[in-house]
Amino acid sequence: MFGYVRPRIDVLAAEEMDAYRAAYCGLCRALGKQYGFRARFLVNYDMTFLYLLRSGVRVRAEAASCWCPARGCGRKVCTLDPDGYETVTACTVILCVEKLRDNLRDEGFLRSLPYRFLRLLYRRAYKKAARRLPAFAALTTEQLERLRTLEAAQSPSIDATADAFARIVAGCVADLEDPALRRPMEQVLYQTGRFLYLADALDDLREDCKHEAYNPLRFRFAPNQGELSEQELDYLTQLTDSSVNLAGAALALLPLQTCDRLLENTVYLGFPAVFAAVRAHKFRAKAGLAGIGRRSAKDGNTPKGETE
Amino acid sequence: MKDPYEVLGVSRTASDNEIKTAYRELVKKYHPDNYANNPLADLASEKMKEINEAYDAITRARAGQSGASGGYQSSGSYQSGSYQSSGSYQSNGGYQSYRTGSNSAYAQARSYININQLDAAESLLNAAANRDAEWYYLKGMIAYRRGWLDEARQHYQTACAMVPGNYEYQNALRTVQGGYTPYRQTNYQRTDMDTACDICNALMCLNCLCGGCGR
Repeated sequence: MFGYVRPRIDVLAAEEMDAYRAAYCGLCRALGKQYGFRARFLVNYDMTFLYLLRSGVRVRAEAASCWCPARGCGRKVCTLDPDGYETVTACTVILCVEKLRDNLRDEGFLRSLPYRFLRLLYRRAYKKAARRLPAFAALTTEQLERLRTLEAAQSPSIDATADAFARIVAGCVADLEDPALRRPMEQVLYQTGRFLYLADALDDLREDCKHEAYNPLRFRFAPNQGELSEQELDYLTQLTDSSVNLAGAALALLPLQTCDRLLENTVYLGFPAVFAAVRAHKFRAKAGLAGIGRRSAKDGNTPKGETE
Repeated sequence: MKDPYEVLGVSRTASDNEIKTAYRELVKKYHPDNYANNPLADLASEKMKEINEAYDAITRARAGQSGASGGYQSSGSYQSGSYQSSGSYQSNGGYQSYRTGSNSAYAQARSYININQLDAAESLLNAAANRDAEWYYLKGMIAYRRGWLDEARQHYQTACAMVPGNYEYQNALRTVQGGYTPYRQTNYQRTDMDTACDICNALMCLNCLCGGCGR
């Protein structure tokens, strides 16, 4: 569902690749165990990164062969770490359901029907996740509201809009008590959130310009027929490079015991590679987490209302 | 105190040269220049202190000394640098000389920034009548620490345009332009993509490998 936060697998060692796959499959399994089978469909790469970050400071969790529904009768190696996944799965459910709400708010009645159905499908899971992480659920609602206000005002500030989203992402580690762990992780995730938001904004820019939908880049740079100039694209690339630097510097402060190379790969290589692909119009993630708070291009600027 | 060998990431049987190499790598990694105006500068500073103490403990133990400070302190160029363990690292050059001629509100704002009290620093600056290069530079510092990199860059650019020869402003601008990169693990030096298609193909492979449930 999401998808901008990925490692560059062409330079990953086999062992790291195995660890990544096991963490991804472990997240899928944990979602199923904790929130029911349908929650497995919420698994994504971005939240796998969150799990790797949170669990990297601990001894590597055990892995075992588990049944994989995507493979029918097949099995895959999964990380077995129910405690480690607990917060990550709750964050995943909250963010995905908020994304559905956001889509629902942006669509007309007929088009919103699939979202209404999905929201209904995940309602119990959301309630359970929100009970588990009430502060995170409240933070997400609050920052999305802030994002909508900025959007309604057609804010030209990419910092302000990205900040609202980045705070949500950084909030995924707010439960950690030790500031020596929490602060660097918050910084890594804040910069990850900024990166996600900017990558998604650039990815959607052409469509948003075509349909005159809100996109912070439209108001910050005034693109010509949905295209930014090379100079403006360079500027944006430099901004994301700065985010990479800040996230990397924060990552270095964490006492990582496992997955350090995987995390460094994602930040130092994955972010720039994905952004370069987005810039070249060769990466198209599905409507994802980073799209929340920004209205779908198809709907123009006027919210269609939200029932909840 | 943590095991000094563990802090430096070396075994107890490591040679003096191996220990020195590990120490230098860590100093390079956590050098204050990598955390200049970084909201986590205090954590980097603590880390640096821990590394120095670990190296000191090992060199003292190996030299059979007790109590006296180790030889590395006198020989290490790092200690003679401008690093301060309080976390309020001041970069070299322009600032010290510049500050003497500017008003105390700036000094106060800078103190607030160093301890991450960004709202207090911003209030001070907003109350200032005069908006000179230092004002823009400090506004840039606040924005940078908040992660508002677009705004930080604009403020730094204004400061640089007003006082073109100031090293501190120029360094800050370079940092926010992404040109200055902190320490990176040698295994993952960044390389340019051959083509953007390569990464798309790689990502598709990853999707298949991970059994993304049809996503």
